Amino acid sequence: MSEEQIVRLAGVSRVYRQGNVEVRAVDRLDLDIRAGEFSALSGPSGSGKTTILNMIGALDAPSEGAVYLEGRNLAELSRGELSRFRRDRVGFVFQSYNLIPVLTAYENAEFVLALQNVPAMERKTRVMAVLREVGMAAYANRRPDELSGGQQQRVAIARAVVSEPAIVLADEPTANVDSEAAATILDLMEQLNREKGVTFLFSTHDQRVMDRARRLIRLRDGRLEADEGGG
Amino acid sequence: MLLLSLALKNILRSRFRTWVTILAMAFAGAIMIFYASLLEGWMQAMETNAVSMEMGEVQLHVPGYRDDPELYDVILDPGAALARAESAGFAGSARLLGSGLAAAQENSTGVAIRGIEPEAEARVVRLHRHVKAGSWLVPGERNGVVLGQQLAVILDVGPGDELVLVGQAADGSMANDLFVVQGILKSVGQGIDRAGLFMPADDFRAFFALAEGAHEIVLQRFDPDLPLDDAVNVLAGLFPGLEVKSWRQLQPTLARLLDLSDVSLAIMLLITYAAVGMLTMNAMLMGVFERIPVFGVMKAIGFSGVRLFGLVVCETLLQITLAALLALGAGLPLSAYFARRPLDFSFLLRESSTIAGVAFEPQWYCRVTPGSVLLPIFFLYAVGLVSICYPALKAALLSPVRAVHHQ
Ligand SMILES: Nc1ncnc2c1ncn2[C@@H]1O[C@H](COP(=O)(O)OP(=O)(O)OP(=O)(O)O)[C@@H](O)[C@H]1O
Ligand SMILES: [Mg+2]
Repeated sequence: MSEEQIVRLAGVSRVYRQGNVEVRAVDRLDLDIRAGEFSALSGPSGSGKTTILNMIGALDAPSEGAVYLEGRNLAELSRGELSRFRRDRVGFVFQSYNLIPVLTAYENAEFVLALQNVPAMERKTRVMAVLREVGMAAYANRRPDELSGGQQQRVAIARAVVSEPAIVLADEPTANVDSEAAATILDLMEQLNREKGVTFLFSTHDQRVMDRARRLIRLRDGRLEADEGGG
Repeated sequence: MLLLSLALKNILRSRFRTWVTILAMAFAGAIMIFYASLLEGWMQAMETNAVSMEMGEVQLHVPGYRDDPELYDVILDPGAALARAESAGFAGSARLLGSGLAAAQENSTGVAIRGIEPEAEARVVRLHRHVKAGSWLVPGERNGVVLGQQLAVILDVGPGDELVLVGQAADGSMANDLFVVQGILKSVGQGIDRAGLFMPADDFRAFFALAEGAHEIVLQRFDPDLPLDDAVNVLAGLFPGLEVKSWRQLQPTLARLLDLSDVSLAIMLLITYAAVGMLTMNAMLMGVFERIPVFGVMKAIGFSGVRLFGLVVCETLLQITLAALLALGAGLPLSAYFARRPLDFSFLLRESSTIAGVAFEPQWYCRVTPGSVLLPIFFLYAVGLVSICYPALKAALLSPVRAVHHQ
C-alpha cells in the first residue's frame, strides 16, 4: 500500500465560544492519514470526532494550527477553491440526510460528476459501475424515500466514491441503521478500500465498527488518547 | 442546464406545498387579469358614455359662450362650418341650446332644451340608441320631444303625454308651446337625465324665434387613430374664430379619472400581490428551511453558494412561469367570456348610476387589452422574485456544517 500522505493535521485546535464559555472541541491535535488507510475515529460523544472530520473535509476551519490535504494548506484556499476542492478531492458520507430527496439513486450518485462537467456517457458508465459495486444497481431509479436507511447509506457511499476522491470521510455512517445493514455497509467500505484503494476515515462509537478498522484513533476531550494499528 | 434540470425536478417531484403555492399565485394572477380586464372595460364604458352619449369628441363654440351662454351667441352659418369640418375628416352635428320651464299637469321644472337634426346627431353621438320608452326623434316630424329619464319622472309623463314649454325667445318675447312626449331616454348622465329635453332643430328655431346659427358644433373623427390633441389643432387652424375643445378639455375631471385607472389598477395589483407575496414568501422560506440539511449536503459535496442561490431563484422562476401559464389559462377565457356577456349587477343598481356626472351601466363588460394581461403577469414575476431574494440568500450563505447538523 502507498505511503503517500493525504491528510496532515498540525497542532490543530478548534475552539467554540458561546458567550463567556470556551469549548475546546479539538485540542492541539497532530494527525496523519496516508493513502489507502481504513481508519476509525472513536471516542465518547463530544470528544471532537465530527469537528475533526469537518476540518479535514474543508467544511470548517481550525482556530489554531493547519490542516493539509494532499499537501495543500486549506487555510490558503478561497471559498470557491474550497468548494471545488470538496467536490473533486473529498467524498462525504453523513449520518443521515445524505441524499437529495428529489433525485433518484442514480441521479444522486451522478450529481458530483455532473458538477464536475464529466460527459454524460462517461457519467453513465461510472455511475452504473459504482452502483453495481455497492449492490444498488437494481434500485437506480428509486428515490431516497423508497429506500431503506441502509440502502440510502450505500447510495451515499456510491456518491462519495464515484468521483474518485483522495479520501472519503464518513461521520458515523452506521449510526442510523440496524446492525445487519451496518455490517453490509462496513463490508462494502472495506471492499472498496481493498479493491479500489479508496482511503476511508470514519467516526464511530460502536465497538463492532471499531473492530473492523485497521487503524483506530481514540479521542478524548479533543485530544489523541490512543492510535492503534496505524503505519 | 444542471440548475434548470435540478430546479425542474425539485418542482415536479416536490411536495404538496409547492403546488399549493403555484396554485395560489395562479389564482391571484387569474383574478387580477380578470379584474384588470373588467376595469379596462368599465373605464372604456365610462369614456364611451361620456363621449358618445353627450359630448362627442370635439366641440366648437363662440368664444365665451360656455362661461355665459346667451341665446344669440351663435356660430353663424353652421352648415358651412360642418361642410368644412367634413372635408377635413370630421363628422359633425350642430346643436341649438336653450333653457326653459316644462310643465305637465301639476308638475313643472327647469329644462335644458336641445334642438338637433336627428340624422346629423346620430353621426356624432349614440343617444338615439338609448331610448327606454317610446322612440327617438324622427327626422321631418314636428312637435315631438324626447326627455331625460329623471325629467320624465319629475314631470310624471310618458310617451304620448303632452307638456307645455315656456321660455324667453331671442327677441325678448315670451315663448310657449305645446309638445308631445315622443320618447324617454335611458340614463346617460346626470345633466341629460335630470333636465335634458330634445327637439328637432326646426321646432327650436320656431320656439325661440332664432332664425339661424347654432350654439354648439359637435365633431367626431373619421379616423379614430388620429390623436385627439392633433384633431384639436387641425380644427383650431380651420376655425380661428371659434373655441375648439376636446372632450378631455371639457371634462378634465373625468379625463383624469380615466387616466387614473392605470394607477388604480397598479395599486390593486400591489395590494393583492402583497398578500400573495407574503404567502409565497412564507411558502418559499419554508421550502428553503425544510431543505437546509439537503442544501448543507449539497454545499458540502461541492455545490457552491452562488449556484444554490441560482437554484432557488430558478425554482421560483419556474414556479411563477407555471403559475403565470395557469393564470393566463384561467384568466383569459374568463375575461373573454365576460367581454361578450356582461357581468350583470342590475340586482344591485337597478338603473345606471353616475360618477363625475357620467353614467355607467349595471352591466359590466371585460375588455382584454395587452395591459390587462401583461401587467398582472409582470407583477406576478416582480413579487415572486422579490419574495424569493431573502430565502435564496439564506440558502446561499448557509454554513454546510451547521446545515448538515441542522437535524
Ligand atoms: N457549533 C458548535 N458550537 C459550540 N460547540 C460545539 C459546536 N459543535 C460542536 N461543539 C462542541 O464541540 C465538542 C465536540 O463536538 P463534536 O460534535 O465534534 O463531538 P463528536 O465526537 O462528534 O460527538 P458525537 O459522538 O456526539 O457526534 C462538543 O463538546 C460539542 O458540544
Ligand atoms: Mg459527531
